[in-house]
Amino acid sequence: MNPENERELLINMGPQHPATHGVLRLVLEVEGEIVKRCTPYIGYLHRGLEKLAEDLTYVQSLPLTDRLDYLSSMVNNVGFCLCVEKLLGINVPERAKFIRTMLSEMARICSHLVWIATHALDIGAMTVFLYAMRDREKLLELFEMVTGARLTVSYPRIGGVRCDVSNEFLKKLERFIDEFPKRVEEYETLIDRNRVWLKRTKGVGVISAEEAINWGLTGPTLRGSGVYYDVRKFFPYDAYDKVEFDVPVGKNGDIYDRYKCRMLEFRQSVRIIKQCIERLPEGPILADNAPKIRMPASPLKIDKEDVQFEIYVDDKSVEDFIKKFTDIYASVEAPRGELGFYIVCDDSAKPYRMRVRAPSFVHTGALPRLCEGGLIADVIANIGSIDIVLGECDR
Amino acid sequence: MKVKEILTKILLIEIFKGLALTLKMLFSKSVTVQYPFEKRNIHEGFRGRHALVRDPISGDDKCIGCMRCTTVCPSRCIHIKREKRENKMVVIDYIIDASRCVYCAYCVEACPVCALVLTEDYEYSSYERKGLIFNKEKLLKNWDEFSAKWPADYYFNKFWQPPGIDPSRWPKTKREQGPVPLKRGVEIKREVKNEQLPS
Ligand code: SF4
Ligand code: SF4
Repeated sequence: MNPENERELLINMGPQHPATHGVLRLVLEVEGEIVKRCTPYIGYLHRGLEKLAEDLTYVQSLPLTDRLDYLSSMVNNVGFCLCVEKLLGINVPERAKFIRTMLSEMARICSHLVWIATHALDIGAMTVFLYAMRDREKLLELFEMVTGARLTVSYPRIGGVRCDVSNEFLKKLERFIDEFPKRVEEYETLIDRNRVWLKRTKGVGVISAEEAINWGLTGPTLRGSGVYYDVRKFFPYDAYDKVEFDVPVGKNGDIYDRYKCRMLEFRQSVRIIKQCIERLPEGPILADNAPKIRMPASPLKIDKEDVQFEIYVDDKSVEDFIKKFTDIYASVEAPRGELGFYIVCDDSAKPYRMRVRAPSFVHTGALPRLCEGGLIADVIANIGSIDIVLGECDR
Repeated sequence: MKVKEILTKILLIEIFKGLALTLKMLFSKSVTVQYPFEKRNIHEGFRGRHALVRDPISGDDKCIGCMRCTTVCPSRCIHIKREKRENKMVVIDYIIDASRCVYCAYCVEACPVCALVLTEDYEYSSYERKGLIFNKEKLLKNWDEFSAKWPADYYFNKFWQPPGIDPSRWPKTKREQGPVPLKRGVEIKREVKNEQLPS
């Protein structure tokens, strides 16, 4: 062969590539079909959410967190609320806890549906995309019914949730989850034993349990390698310690096992929602000592200098509480992995620093490890299998 | 076992199972909506285009210029121009930059007189940025457009009285806020006026 044809080729994949799930740019050094090196470049969707939060009060920061992982905004909101609740020492009422758990699992199903839709589309199964979107639409409608928005819900509030759920909503949700397991079976009929699917996923992008832990992977991506770790089980928050569910674990750590884990999670989510609907207690939906929107006697009095602080923290004890703590960390099991919020606070009502531990960011870091040595076509399958959302990765 | 495996391989069983499913779907009811011609129902409390509630009695907006919505807005997109005239605060203009808004409805919750509302309209895209900057007139017009479509004679937004907060903490106006009569039936209007006069 002519030696000139043997040189390595540099390929830019993204940021506009439809299969990179947003604006991820990968620079691939390929030799023929084999990927020699893979370097992810991120930051195309950077909006500076962490910095923005420093300028806003805790309550005002909440709508920002919707924009992290926009496919499961409810879970992001809950994560942020949990962190601030831990900081202020607020006990969330039981009913609010169950509502949060219920809607978080709905968000998980929603997010996994988008994942199976796009992942299958990337690998070449178009039909699954259509069916998954059909079912997601029903869930989005349920979200709209209770929160007033389909995607960016801003529904929880520090110390509880924003509005109560109606019986009509619960009935509709029940009907949905009754038929949903059948839908999951439908997706599986289409791809689970399909030989193309198996060839593309089995034994591709293998990462061992030890390596997965070392790379900091979490969520289904880690569980696919056979590590039993789930924030919901290990550090239960909201009502997760009051409901029963299993954590599906894979074995081989390849794309197929990660896919299998998520498919099983669909069923666990359904199980959790069912229990939440059955056990939903009566009672208030907001804690008494939650920071409130203050309503002074005369509205015009509010026109003062330090008005931001005035509005949200009107309680002396809360203020003292904030002073006692300097930093706090709380995490939730987002559909993609462990989503953590780390807040350093000073004595004002705004965070001194807010840091988001985004699973997508960590998973993008592990992408070169998964892709190098494989084929170009497998890069796409790998991106799909770690299920990243660039909004969360770039923040 | 071996024979069975080979048979499934040759006969493409799993592929035909999948095809059977898609064929079944072909004859099931369609779930898509032909959007511009056919619209799905929006649920109550959807957070869409902003509007200032038009007071059915005075015909003007109800804003008292307390600046609370401006303060609470996370994206700082509400701008209020006001003036002191004869010891009274008068709101000259009220501007919402909808292109910056994140549709959190905090402003609706914070308003003590329930003057602001996020309506259920969602079709207001614009070819230019200016079209998304709503001033007071535009906001009132948004309300008129919305109320013309509203099926009932009264309107109440679920974010006006934030649940969970003890009602005694709300200002009187917020506590007493009932459903707003829409300026449609003349009779409703007169009725409200009669009630208003003696007080
Ligand atoms: S909905 Fe939220 S972002 Fe929009 S104007 Fe109101 S407070 Fe501001
Ligand atoms: S909170 Fe209500 S009354 Fe106060 S300025 Fe805003 S719209 Fe006007």
